[in-house]
Amino acid sequence: MSEPSAPPISKRRSGQVMGGAFVSDPRCVVKGDKVIGVRCAHCRYPTSPPAPWCPACQHREQVEAEFGPGGTVWASTLVQIPVGRWAPPYAMAYIDLDDGPRVIAHLEAPAILAVGTRVNIVGGDDGDLIVRLA
Amino acid sequence: MSDRKEVVIRGVGSSHYGRFPDRRVESLAWEAILEAMQDAGAEAGEIEAVFVGSVFGPPGVATRTLRGIGIGGVPVITIEAACASGTAAYHEACEAVALGRYSCVLVFGIEHLSSLFTRGAIVPEATDSEGRAGLPLPGLYALQAQRYMAQFGTRPEAFAEVAVKNKGNGAHNPRAQLKGSAPTLDEVMSAKMIAEPLTFLQCCPVSDGSAAAVVGRPKGRRGEVRVLASAMASGQLWDHRSKEFWGEGPVRRAAQAAYAQSGIKPSEVDVLEVHDSFTIGEILTLEALDLCKVGEGASLAPSGHTQRGGQQPVNPSGGLLSRGHPLGATGTAQIAEIVWQLRGMAGAHQVPNAKLGLVETMGGGAAGMEGNASVVSLLALR
Repeated sequence: MSEPSAPPISKRRSGQVMGGAFVSDPRCVVKGDKVIGVRCAHCRYPTSPPAPWCPACQHREQVEAEFGPGGTVWASTLVQIPVGRWAPPYAMAYIDLDDGPRVIAHLEAPAILAVGTRVNIVGGDDGDLIVRLA
Repeated sequence: MSDRKEVVIRGVGSSHYGRFPDRRVESLAWEAILEAMQDAGAEAGEIEAVFVGSVFGPPGVATRTLRGIGIGGVPVITIEAACASGTAAYHEACEAVALGRYSCVLVFGIEHLSSLFTRGAIVPEATDSEGRAGLPLPGLYALQAQRYMAQFGTRPEAFAEVAVKNKGNGAHNPRAQLKGSAPTLDEVMSAKMIAEPLTFLQCCPVSDGSAAAVVGRPKGRRGEVRVLASAMASGQLWDHRSKEFWGEGPVRRAAQAAYAQSGIKPSEVDVLEVHDSFTIGEILTLEALDLCKVGEGASLAPSGHTQRGGQQPVNPSGGLLSRGHPLGATGTAQIAEIVWQLRGMAGAHQVPNAKLGLVETMGGGAAGMEGNASVVSLLALR
């Protein structure tokens, strides 16, 4: 990964990809074709990455859970500007994982998928969630 | 509510908006504050508190600004609510006056983005899961536009029409970053694609600027604008259960509260300044403000309803799409614009017979939440 020529002087924490300082990874954890998270023991609300208590009902007890690999496209777009390590064109989508949370994902192919399209998690790329047509 | 005191905007002011990398950030605020103080006929000694909206600061910008004009020793509160920071500061000032805590408050929004983001768009926040994954703000709005098109069969031209309208208005606004530029529909549609379906001309410019207002108890001076309502709503969870578009909820809840406070119906509003950082944003906002039903917002610009000569002009200043978007200053810029419109002082982009004005700002950018906050305020000449 090549560093940008001049590191941005920014109050914003842009992360190492943009030439800034190390930032602890806030993304959901991808393991194989699953997203790792927790599910509320009371209301079943799915969360990834884990939160200190259930964000939906504040119940303290949550159990470890895996979500995916299947999911549905809420919407997708093709981004045509460079962002971080991503060079255009690249496609991103909100995916509602089956019985799981809504997550942001990269589409394996740089094309827009129709709302409602079925997709599968194919894994992670440098921590980013990647999905493809089911 | 009967023990709430009447609140007015005594005066407003603003800098020009644009990229001013060679200017001190404070100098933009001084321009706005001096104009607002003069407009209000207010002395520095009258100011009992200062509420400041800013996203990227820099830290200490409020105090450094006040140093130059000799206001000190009073509470100074800086508020960050993403793009709604300026209106959030204004809202808290209005509440403080309404509840009798202060009788005269200085509000200003300030932002200097040209010294932060030198290579175009705002760099996404790496502590946010979506920012870290590489979703830029235009991408977030593009996802809403894609969902909208799928749900209502809307064509991309409908989004572009918002840019044609707002930039056409902004061409007449001497303080706007893109003054003098009024692209055609073809030019908007064929501009460089940023995130499909949003082209470059459907994204607001990254700007520097400041705007200010003196908010307080009425003095009976000409030009005072009455705050009929001001409401702020923060975002709630936005997840797989949500039926609404991202960002819609806070605007809808703030609007409902503002309409309830004032007894005003959406159809009665004469002129609006709303958050159009991206074209789809104006459409979703007008639906959340109940100007029309969900799914009908895209027809408001093409039908003429929201054009400057239409029934309910929206963003006669050119909006964020033309003025530019100095994040923390945007809300106060919108307030200043509506005050000028209500007084008939807006110049070449004046709307005829504007008696009742509405300001709306929506700030967002935290994954899994509907938004950070939205503020809706209703204003009329006193």
